[in-house]
Amino acid sequence: MQTSLPQPTAIEGAAMHIEIDEISKQFGVTAALHPVSLAIPSGALVALLGPSGSGKTTLLRILGGLEFPTAGRVLFDGQDATGLTVQERRAGFVFQSYALFRHMTVFENIAYGLNARPRATRPPKAEIARRVTKLLELIQLPDIGSRYPSQLSGGQRQRVALARALAIEPRMLLLDEPFGALDAKVRKELRQGLRDIHDETGLTTVFVTHDQEEAMELADMVVVMSMGRIEQIGKPADIRARPATDFVRTFISA
Amino acid sequence: MSDATATTRFRSATEETPLTRWLLVGLGAAGMALLVFAPLIAVFAEALADGWLAAVESLGNRDARSAIQLTLTIAAISVPLNAAFGIAAAWFITKFDFRGKAFLITLIDLPFSVSPVVAGLCIVLMFGTNSLVGGWLVANGYPIVFALPGIVLATMFVTFPFVARELIPVMIEQGRAEEEAALTLGASGWRTFWTVTLPNIRWALLYGVLLCNARAMGEFGAVAVVSGKIRGQTATMPITIEMLYNEYLSVAAFSMAAVLTVLALVTLLLKTALELRHADQLAATHRH
Amino acid sequence: MGRPLIHRSPMPGLGLSMGITLTMLSIVVLLPIGALLLKGATFGLGNMWDVVNSERTWAALFLSFRLSLFAALFNLVFGVMLAWVLVRYRFPGRRLLDAAVDLPFALPTAVAGIALTALYAPNGAFGQLAAEIGWRIAYTQYGIFLALVFVGLPFVTRTVQPVIEEIEREVEEASATLGASRAYTIRRVILPMLTPAALTGFALSLARAVGEYGSVIFIAGNIPLVTEIAPLLIVIQLEEFDYDSAAAIGIAMLVISFAMLLAINLIQVWSRRRIGYV
Repeated sequence: MQTSLPQPTAIEGAAMHIEIDEISKQFGVTAALHPVSLAIPSGALVALLGPSGSGKTTLLRILGGLEFPTAGRVLFDGQDATGLTVQERRAGFVFQSYALFRHMTVFENIAYGLNARPRATRPPKAEIARRVTKLLELIQLPDIGSRYPSQLSGGQRQRVALARALAIEPRMLLLDEPFGALDAKVRKELRQGLRDIHDETGLTTVFVTHDQEEAMELADMVVVMSMGRIEQIGKPADIRARPATDFVRTFISA
Repeated sequence: MSDATATTRFRSATEETPLTRWLLVGLGAAGMALLVFAPLIAVFAEALADGWLAAVESLGNRDARSAIQLTLTIAAISVPLNAAFGIAAAWFITKFDFRGKAFLITLIDLPFSVSPVVAGLCIVLMFGTNSLVGGWLVANGYPIVFALPGIVLATMFVTFPFVARELIPVMIEQGRAEEEAALTLGASGWRTFWTVTLPNIRWALLYGVLLCNARAMGEFGAVAVVSGKIRGQTATMPITIEMLYNEYLSVAAFSMAAVLTVLALVTLLLKTALELRHADQLAATHRH
Repeated sequence: MGRPLIHRSPMPGLGLSMGITLTMLSIVVLLPIGALLLKGATFGLGNMWDVVNSERTWAALFLSFRLSLFAALFNLVFGVMLAWVLVRYRFPGRRLLDAAVDLPFALPTAVAGIALTALYAPNGAFGQLAAEIGWRIAYTQYGIFLALVFVGLPFVTRTVQPVIEEIEREVEEASATLGASRAYTIRRVILPMLTPAALTGFALSLARAVGEYGSVIFIAGNIPLVTEIAPLLIVIQLEEFDYDSAAAIGIAMLVISFAMLLAINLIQVWSRRRIGYV
């Protein structure tokens, strides 16, 4: 069992840059990822865009420490992080289903990561309460701390999941289809919400989506993936203006 | 911080360490070995202590044969009656909306939380010679307690919820649409039941009947109270096991126990087969 | 007041199914239980209390309830562990182990009783081993505990298993990404999710054990005040044709059973309200 967490390595405010070096992933005989390489500059908001089965979620899960690559390395700020356990990575991860703990209140959900720390590094109760309150304000839901997840709307759940991930003072933010389970109207609202939170925290942020409009509108940098390969990396405007492959052309015009 | 190189073996975030895993599997298997598998082996070992011949012979005498016959008779009467009840109750509960439905379900479940001995006691107090109903029946030549009808009633009491419990969740899940369709197509009520409902619930029905039958043939506490334990007349197989055991006729007692154990094993085998092959037509809790 | 007793429905067979249901329920279950209560009523509350309040009855009820509680607690821990092992791990013999969990449901209690006695009696296979360290199992309260564990074994495992199957992996992963160790995740996320089902199984196991007779009497030794269980007292009173005393103890046991049934329902209502599922 994991007993200690790493001390924060990054200086508060200085976002991390991530390098993916020739990462591949095999599930049995099928290759989910052919060797892919990618550099994510610190503080960027990056979209991994592609259809289902393109390997984008696998790549995100490898970054978060939830899958282990068959070959290749992940570097955080130039240091090899491939062998770090999921707990050691301190990546704020937002799941597609949000994966909120339904037997805990919103407050308890957000405080979870802080309470889970070993006693030596755990903030005092009052400090935890202060941080949770601050996060609830950040997601603009200051009054829902005592509710249970089952009493929230889909959009509220998504924002609580985001606050829970931010509570651990993550080194990066990883989101798997963060808007996938929401209806069109809420989706548009929350897009701006994510942009605001990214700008406010300055965290390096990677999100997975199959919606090209969402990727183009929200991200600084878009990584188009298909069948376990990276098809193109670039600014949204560049990709739109100069699609590198036939796949990219058809996919972004869909 | 631990050695953070790519060579560190990756452990899934949702798994325990291999040591923990094997420890838990070992504890589970050891507990099951001591509590379940060992007694199972003991039954056959004790039955065959004096060889096959002695075991088979002990089952051939008149009292043993009459006990087997009685147990089969009881099952043959009480299981179909409880199956009929289960179907009727499930139909009534799932096809109609009425007040007090939850209360009715609680009443049907009641026998599960009543001690078998108390169940037997209730039958004795209701139908015994001292009671109003029982006295009248005995006077007219129909004794209930210390006779077959009492044993059947006691058996039905303890197995009462089995079939209904299986059918109700399945029929709730299947809804009423198919029956309604059949009715609009002009089918009669009976025809709808035989051609639409029954095919949909047959595996769940079989499942309930299987468990009901196993319990009916093996019931001891309730039957012990109402049977009077008359050798050759009201002694069922479990009662005979008790009598033989108390007379230190170990081989005979365990031989009869072995017969019931085989029945239990066959029941489990069929039950597992149903769970594997017809899971979609069983109550959700039995799906694997 | 506008709600009718039975809503109109196009479904056929209302009269027949309702008739069969209510008639059979009455004859087999309700009237016999009514006869027990009637017997108690004519015997009188004071007299019933005198029967229950005797040293021997009190000892038997206390013994039954105490050992049932211990057995149910053991089954709670062992049952959750076994359910976890059966759902989450793959190992040779898993299917066999899974099927064997139901054996206590399928095996007649008298058979279980004599088999356990044969094993754990001082001259039995396990009893001899225990005797060497001066431990007697059969014909003591340990023997009763063992038999009660056996009959209650499947309940917790079978109620918890489907709940474990439905836990989303992402919830466990979320806990890990938030920095929680596996042990912390199990303690704070997984076990709380299993609690309502585990408590239901615990209550069922307890209810079954309190009323158990067949598997216990062989291994118990049945010494008054020491290893005599409450259901056996009823049988003894009946053999002496003392129906009043038998009814008094029977009603006492019925009250205990109903209290536990109520507890099960309250647990389910509580968990549904709090977590939104059972």
